[in-house]
Amino acid sequence: MADRSTPAWARTATLALSVAGLAVSVYLTVDHFTTRSVLACPATASVNCAKVTTSAYASMLGIPVALYGLAFFVAMVALTLPYAWRDPRLRTVRLGAAVVGVAFVVYLVGAELFGVGAICLWCTAVHVITVAIFAVLAFAVALERP
Amino acid sequence: MSKAARLEHRRQRQAEALRKARLAQQRRRMALAAAAVATVLVIIGGLVIVKLTAGGAGPAVADTAPASPISDGVLDAVKNVPAAMFDQVGLGAVDTLPKAISGQPALTADGKPLVVYIGAEYCPYCAAQRWGLAVALSRFGTFTGLGETKSSTIDAFPGTATLSFHGATYTSQYLAFQGVETFSNVRQGDGYAPLDTPTDAQNQLMKTYNAPPYVSSDAAGGIPFLDIANKYLMQGASYSPEVLQGKPGIDIAGLLSNPDDPVAKAILGSANAFTAALCQATGGQPGEICTSSAVTAYQAKLHG
Repeated sequence: MADRSTPAWARTATLALSVAGLAVSVYLTVDHFTTRSVLACPATASVNCAKVTTSAYASMLGIPVALYGLAFFVAMVALTLPYAWRDPRLRTVRLGAAVVGVAFVVYLVGAELFGVGAICLWCTAVHVITVAIFAVLAFAVALERP
Repeated sequence: MSKAARLEHRRQRQAEALRKARLAQQRRRMALAAAAVATVLVIIGGLVIVKLTAGGAGPAVADTAPASPISDGVLDAVKNVPAAMFDQVGLGAVDTLPKAISGQPALTADGKPLVVYIGAEYCPYCAAQRWGLAVALSRFGTFTGLGETKSSTIDAFPGTATLSFHGATYTSQYLAFQGVETFSNVRQGDGYAPLDTPTDAQNQLMKTYNAPPYVSSDAAGGIPFLDIANKYLMQGASYSPEVLQGKPGIDIAGLLSNPDDPVAKAILGSANAFTAALCQATGGQPGEICTSSAVTAYQAKLHG
């Protein structure tokens, strides 16, 4: 039976955002594993060394951060497919995953600004998508009909 | 009003009350959702604002002072590593090795094979590389005037404790060495204050060997760059500076006496690799160093 408690626009928006996030995450993951890790600085002193190499913040607990992002969006796509909205038990899981995603975004933004000192544009796209998913889900839960 | 009308009126009032209650509940939930989203945006926005305002005032760098003379403790640890320690560490923990090249004109100075290092004091990868290079070269000669410094505190692997070749001289019967630190770690404008100016010959080495086909075009000109007598080239660090993070220079020097410590494995492992390359340049001299087990093992790897 189709879920009619969550607004249709929210279901469509979260799925679209999750798919977009998955696409960018795939790119970042491929880029992480194919880019040569160069332990060198550019000769010109005005450019950040972290921009040409793998930052120390690019992995957590030995796992590339890109893989965490990929896993997150694979899960979000699965949780926002039409069949998933029919199971009321997944509502908490969906919102909880978005909260975890946002917490991770806050950590990564802090790492970019204060650790690496450089902003990765594709990473920023993922962060924006994650916050947008959280916002849509938060309002969707608020608007749900009992 | 009839009884039916009164019942209908009461039912409508109850329905209206229920509708108002649901609306109020929905408004509360919307406010909660808005507050949650706003909190996230405020936190992220706050991080950006803090960074922008802190960046405008200049980096909060406690280590913008130029390199200081090397302390006795660090110098002693760098130049007096026991021979047995090098063999105990063996290959150590090294990510990148010098690359052998052939068919190039001999690089010499004063009739001896010349080793050229080009880096900068702000550079965290140069910070890592200098330790192993200084230890290796100390097996073939003597440094005077080495400095101690830290890499940039606003870059990757901030404030990595290291040595500096700026102002240092090297004497050896086997090798000549030129260490060029092009920039300090002191901010100047958008970059760093200049230090040593490479000679025309050193610039030519960079243009020739720190460029395709020896390195990829997107990495051309990167530092640290090392040329061992035009027999071995290396761009970048032998290991990640992460292993040195948070450790003062004196602590790093102290860890060179523990062959199982990651710091010793990285620094002495890379020193063994450099020693193997230097031995190729010196024709296997001095013999007791160039025939040691660790150096022999690395010579096989350099040409494997």
